[in-house]
Parts: sequence; structure tokens; C-alpha cells
Amino acid sequence: MRYAGPAGMDLEKMAVPLENICSQCDYKGTPDCREPECLMGFARRVLSYAVQKGLLDVPGASSLIPKGDFKHYYPEALVPALAETCRQCKECRDNHTPDCVVALVRSSVEYTVLSDSIPYPGSVFMYLARIKEQNPELAALLAGELSKKG
Amino acid sequence: MGDGIFRQKNGMVAIDIVASCGVMTPEQLSGLARLSEECGVFRIKLSTRQTLVAVLDEKGAGRLVESLPGLGLKVSPYGNVVRAVKACAGSSALCPRAVGEALALGIEIQDKYLGMEVPKDFKIAVAGCLRGCTDPYCADLGIVSSGREVFDVSIGGFGGSSKPLHGEVVARRIKREDVFLLIDHVLNRFRALGEPGEKLGRAITRLGLTPFLPPAGVKEAQQAPPDDFVKFLED
Repeated sequence: MRYAGPAGMDLEKMAVPLENICSQCDYKGTPDCREPECLMGFARRVLSYAVQKGLLDVPGASSLIPKGDFKHYYPEALVPALAETCRQCKECRDNHTPDCVVALVRSSVEYTVLSDSIPYPGSVFMYLARIKEQNPELAALLAGELSKKG
Repeated sequence: MGDGIFRQKNGMVAIDIVASCGVMTPEQLSGLARLSEECGVFRIKLSTRQTLVAVLDEKGAGRLVESLPGLGLKVSPYGNVVRAVKACAGSSALCPRAVGEALALGIEIQDKYLGMEVPKDFKIAVAGCLRGCTDPYCADLGIVSSGREVFDVSIGGFGGSSKPLHGEVVARRIKREDVFLLIDHVLNRFRALGEPGEKLGRAITRLGLTPFLPPAGVKEAQQAPPDDFVKFLED
């Protein structure tokens, strides 16, 4: 039997690059690894919760993104995670909500490298254009990553 | 007010049957199928308002109508009344995109208001997210989940006619209980101020939105993430 599925998103695929980032983190496996206070940890928990509950939106969850996580992340490590959110994004345009699971992961990743989260325009192409305005190097890395086969 | 029973051009009779916003149990569906066969129903059509229209010869119509309550169904009221409520599958059990329990709210609204008399037919649409699969802005009163237990409400829309109108949002992020206060208020104002045969949207165009705005007690609620998500995050 073929299921139409919730807009055909693969949330588990989004978790893979996040796990790679975590595995390289100095805090991994130490008492200082506190997921709710870590942007990557938050993103991973959002995905786990969404998969467990069968949800694609978590109303109000964007207010819990731990913006106080100032750990250093290398852009090269983050780009695969950001690219996967672009691949999974269904380009809802007017129907975009910041509490969408994909948006929650994307915003969490953005806060690690950008001074502020980019208001998502509901379209990957327009999103890339906005990243380019704020961080041309990141936009180039992301465009390169997206040109690879996902 | 009348019942949704219509003489058809082909001489048959159409009976508009209403369930809980289109939700039926297998027993209701199979019971209706058996009853339809016994009453000689020719065809059953799903309507845009999530009702079922059974078309049959007049001789079987009386028995069909009389037997519907035994299945937990009834003939939909028709005319200048609150019509069957259109609600999407928005619920945590049925739709992964739903941000709130819209279907249960729609059913409760229908149970409370269906058939109430108003100056002109009054259609309510409830949606579980801003995608609005039930076209809430094309309803006299549209409700959209904007959080787990909070809703946005628009009034004055209608999708039909040669001059359709989109409803205007009059309340954002109000609690479930306040939705009922707001519907009571809008219906009371509509009954008091609407002219016979005048759609709510036309009454708003004539009088302005102010007489229909929510009463003072209806206020925006604070957005809070689901408790189980917060617990999941912290565990």
C-alpha cells in the first residue's frame, strides 16, 4: 500500500546531519551536554517529538529555541543540515509557519551562524537570496551543497 | 426554516442528511446503506457541506426520514438558518498538519447552533491550520486553529454569488470557550441588525464591522507550546 504521507517529508533524514554535528561536539557525552539549551540538541528533540507524535507543526515551539547557545559551529558542518531543511521544505509560501518542524530545525541551525533567524519566505529560492544578503559565504556553501544529490 | 427535502426536476425527492461534520461510524454508514436499499434510494451524493444527499422516489422518502434518527443522523435544516458546519479533519488523530482540535470544535458548534434562525443562511467553516481546507474565509463565520487550544475567527465571508466576499478577521488567538461567546454575539447582532434575506457580509458592508466586533471579554490568549513537548524537551 502506498501512503500519501504528510506532504512526503522525511524527518529522519533531517536528523542525520544534526547527529553528525553533535558527534563532533566537545560537550558530547559530558555532563555539560544539555540538549534543551543547545541549538542542535533542540533541533534533534523537535524531530524526535514530531516523528513520535506524527506531527509536522508544534505550535509555540519556536518560542523555545535556545537562542542563548553561543557555542562555535563551523559553517561547513552546518551546511548539510541547512541544505536538508531546504530539501524537505514543501515551499508552503503563504501557509508557512515558524512552528513547522522543518522551520524549527532551520531556525535552530541559522542561529548558530547568523546574527538573527531569517524570516522564511516560504520558498527555497527566495530563502537563498535572503541568506546571500546576510552572509554571502554561507549562501555559496549552501548552494553548493544543494547542487549535490540529496 | 425548513428541512432539506427537495423535489427534483426528474420527479424524485432529494433528502439532505447531516452527520457530525461528515464524520460517520461504520455502523452509521452501513445502516444508511441498508436503509437506502430498503427505501429505494437511486443515488447518494456527497455535498459541499459534508452532508449526504439521498435521491429517491417520493414513496420511500417518508420512511427514510423517519428512520434517520435511529442511525444518529437527521435531515439537515434548510433556509435562513445556521447550516451544517463544514470542518476539516483537523485533529491530533487525523491530520499531521493540524495545530489544534478543529474537528471536535466544529462538531460541537454544529450540535449547538444547527438550525438556529437568522436573517439569511449562515455558514460556518472550521479549519485546523492556516491552510484552511474548508475555506474559512469564504464562510459567514470562519474559524482557524492558531494554536493547540486557540483560534482565529473571521466573519462576513461568502464564496457564492457573482460578488463573493472574503471574511474579515475579528479575533485572533481566542480560547475555545470564547469562540462560543463570539458566535453567540455575532448571531445575536445579525438577528438584531440584519435585514431579511441579507447575508452577514452585506450587513457588515452596510453597517461596518464595529457592531459585530467581539464583546469585551473575548481576548487574545497567550501562545504556549504543548506541555508534553516542553516535558519531552526537558527529559
